[in-house]
Amino acid sequence: MKTIIAIIRPERVGETRSALEAIGMKGITFLHVTGKGRQKGRIQTSELAGLLGREGTGRFPLQWDHTHIKFSPGEQEEKEFELGFLPKRMLIIVVHDIDVSSIVQTIIHTNQHGHHGDGRIFVCPMISALRVRTGEQGDQALS
Amino acid sequence: MKMIWAVVRPESAEIVIAALEDAGISSMTRIHVTGHGKEMGITAGLARYTEIPKEMLMLVLPDNDIAKAITIIKNAARTGPKANPDAGIIGDGKIFVTYVEDTYTIRTAEKTSVQKQ
Repeated sequence: MKTIIAIIRPERVGETRSALEAIGMKGITFLHVTGKGRQKGRIQTSELAGLLGREGTGRFPLQWDHTHIKFSPGEQEEKEFELGFLPKRMLIIVVHDIDVSSIVQTIIHTNQHGHHGDGRIFVCPMISALRVRTGEQGDQALS
Repeated sequence: MKMIWAVVRPESAEIVIAALEDAGISSMTRIHVTGHGKEMGITAGLARYTEIPKEMLMLVLPDNDIAKAITIIKNAARTGPKANPDAGIIGDGKIFVTYVEDTYTIRTAEKTSVQKQ
């Protein structure tokens, strides 16, 4: 039994969910998180516009003070901003050992754009599971 | 490779993050959580508050960086009198460490495997 912890872009959640549903993986936990990688949350002007429009007024608060960023929508030049923690989604999936590779490949396939910030997947061991409704334990709790 | 889950006070989170960055550890995920420890929250008069806000930091690091990261988080997250650095205040948080077997970078589909512990 393994836990797959994937960190992906918020805008890819719907597509990832459908892709995982298509291969029969329906039990997923989604978390609203913020994160940064080795690039320390660097972002392009074009991405920033979408981010401020989408997340700035939503239920997920921006973790940075964006009032000091000078940005006008008509700006031609691509600039880079270092914003630190950016909104991400964390997926937690507990699966049988044999399903790990197909799920990892599906997540990579749906989220890979070739830009920094596409995310990361961690595969960790999980000792046991228990379905609360029926009391089933171990591998039965997942099926 | 191991994964660190550190639960710290929200007001200590920025200090911990800055301390980790100074040591060259810049990749992490931050989650807002609530919880309580064995003290069952805070009691004020008749009211008991059991959902105390905390920040959870998740880091995945190579084995030889783990001890360094734990020391940094421990020292940065501990509150209380500076005179007694070995005793913090209840609610400073906890650090959990678990195994990670494989990591994938989605951008490059690159896999990093770790030998069985």
